[in-house]
Amino acid sequence: MSQALIEARDLHIEFGGVKAADGVDLSVHESDHLAIIGPNGAGKTTFLNICTGYLRPKSGTVRFDGTEITGRSPRWITRRGIARAFQIPQLFLEHTVIENMLIGAAARDRVRSLWRPLSASTARDEMMELLELMGVADVAAQVVTALPEGQRKLIDIALALALKPRVLLMDEPTSGVSSQEKFQVMDTLLRVLAHQQVTAVFVEHDMEMVERYAERVAVWDAGRIRIEGTPAEVLADAGVQRDVIGL
Amino acid sequence: MDLIIFTLAVLDGLAYASQVFMVAVGMTLIFGVMRILNIAHGGFYAIGAYLSAGIGLAIASAGLSPWLHLPALVIGAAMAGGVLGLVIERFVLRYIYVKEEVLQLLVTFAIFMILEDVQRLVFGVQPYAASSLVDAMGTINVLGIPYNAYQVLLLPGVAVLTLVGLRWFLHHTLLGHLITATAEDREAATAMGVNANRVFLLTFTIGTVLAALGGAFAAPTTAVQLGMGADMIVLSFAVVVTAGLGQVEGAAVTAVLIGLGRSFAIYLMPELDVLMPYFIMMLVLLVRPNGLFGTVQTRKI
Repeated sequence: MSQALIEARDLHIEFGGVKAADGVDLSVHESDHLAIIGPNGAGKTTFLNICTGYLRPKSGTVRFDGTEITGRSPRWITRRGIARAFQIPQLFLEHTVIENMLIGAAARDRVRSLWRPLSASTARDEMMELLELMGVADVAAQVVTALPEGQRKLIDIALALALKPRVLLMDEPTSGVSSQEKFQVMDTLLRVLAHQQVTAVFVEHDMEMVERYAERVAVWDAGRIRIEGTPAEVLADAGVQRDVIGL
Repeated sequence: MDLIIFTLAVLDGLAYASQVFMVAVGMTLIFGVMRILNIAHGGFYAIGAYLSAGIGLAIASAGLSPWLHLPALVIGAAMAGGVLGLVIERFVLRYIYVKEEVLQLLVTFAIFMILEDVQRLVFGVQPYAASSLVDAMGTINVLGIPYNAYQVLLLPGVAVLTLVGLRWFLHHTLLGHLITATAEDREAATAMGVNANRVFLLTFTIGTVLAALGGAFAAPTTAVQLGMGADMIVLSFAVVVTAGLGQVEGAAVTAVLIGLGRSFAIYLMPELDVLMPYFIMMLVLLVRPNGLFGTVQTRKI
C-alpha cells in the first residue's frame, strides 16, 4: 500500500457527552478514493472538520504528509494542500462563477497587488480551464445564485481544486443533486480528480455512490471505525447492512 | 412654501446628507463585513473634526493660504483615522468578534467614551471654529440665492466621490472582492486561504478613515465641540438602519432622504428638527423592518 497522506491516530472528541470520535485511527493514502459511511450523527463530518482545522480534537493527532496538523488553522491547512468541499456549496453567491474562482486563485497565490482589478487576474485562463474540465465553463459569467444545485456542487469542487490541493475532502458531494444528475456529477468529479492527481475522501450516505465510486470504505459508527475495506467487503458485512444500510 | 425656502432647504439638506453619509457609509461597511455595530464610529468623526479645526486654525495663525487647509485636513484625518482604526481593531476588536452582540456594543461604546476623554484631554472643552476655507471658496448663486460653494459643491462632491470610489473599489479591485467575499461567507473565504483577520483590519480601517474624513470636512462649517461625536453616531445609526444594515448604496439614498427631511423640518416645522430623522426611520421600519434596501438575509456591502 502507498504511503499514508493523512494519518489520524487515537482521535477523541465529544459534544455534550456524545462521543463523535472515540479513539479513531484512520489513514488516507495517496490516490485513494476513500468513502466514509455511517449512521447520522456518528461523527463522520467531525473527521473532516478535524482534518481541515475547524475542530481541535480533545486528544490524538492528525499528520499530513508527515507533518502534524492537529489544531492548526483552516487557512494554514488549506495552504499545505488539504481542500474541502462542503455539503452545502460554500460559494460567494453574489459573485459570478469566474469571480469565485479568481478569488480562490488570488488567495492561493497570495497575490500582493490587491488594488488591481480582479478581471486583470493572470489566473483567468487556468481557472477557465478548470471550469472547462468540470463542464461548467459555459456559466462562468453567471452569478452563482442563478445556478441549479448540481452546477453549484461542481463549481464548489472546482473552487476547492483551484487551490491545487493534494487531498480533497468532500461532505456528501452529490447531496441535493437530482438522481439523474448525481452520476454525471460524480463521473466528472472523479475524472478531474484523476487528471489533477488529487486524493479524495468523501462522506457519503448513498450506498449506490459508494459501491460505484469508492475504492476503500470506512464505517464510522458511534465515534469508532467499525470496519474498513473494499466496498464489496464492507457492504457485504451483515452488521453494516443492518445498522448502516438498514437492510 | 416659496422657491427661495425650497431651494435653501434642498441645498442645506444635501450638504447635511453629504456629511452624514461619510460617517454612515463607514459604519455600514464595518457592519456588513464584520457584523459589529461600531458605536465608537462617532469618536473617529469627532477626532477628524478636531484635527481639521486645529489644522485650520494653525494655518490661519501662520498666515498661510486657507486653501492649504484642504489637503492638510484630508491627510491629517486619513492618518488619524487610519492609525486609530488599525490599533483598535488589532488590539481590541479582534478579540470580541465571536462574543455576544451586547458585549460588542459595550466594548465599542467604551472605546467611544475613551475617545471623548482623549478629545477633552488634548483639545480642552472650548469649541473651535475654523471656517477660513469656507470663506476662501466664496459663494455661488443657485437660482439667484448666494450659497457657500464649500457646502453646495465640495461636500456633495466629496460624498459622491466616496460613493463612486467605494463602489469601484468593492466591485472591481481584488481587495474589494476579497472584502465582499469575506462579508458573504467568512468560513468559505477562510477555507480557501483568505486571511479574514487582515480583511477585517483593512475594512475597519477604511471605515474609521471615512468617519474621520467626514468629521474633517464637516469642521469648517460648524463649531467643533464635545458631544458632536455622540450626535453624529445616533444620526448615522438612523441612516444605516433606515437603509438596511450593510447597504452602501442604500446609505447614500437614505442620507439624502434624512438630510432633506431634517432640513425641510428646520424651515417649515423647526420644533420637529431633531425628531425628523427618527420619525423617517420609524416610518420606514414600520413598513420595511429590514430597512429600505435590506432583505431578511440582507446582502452585505
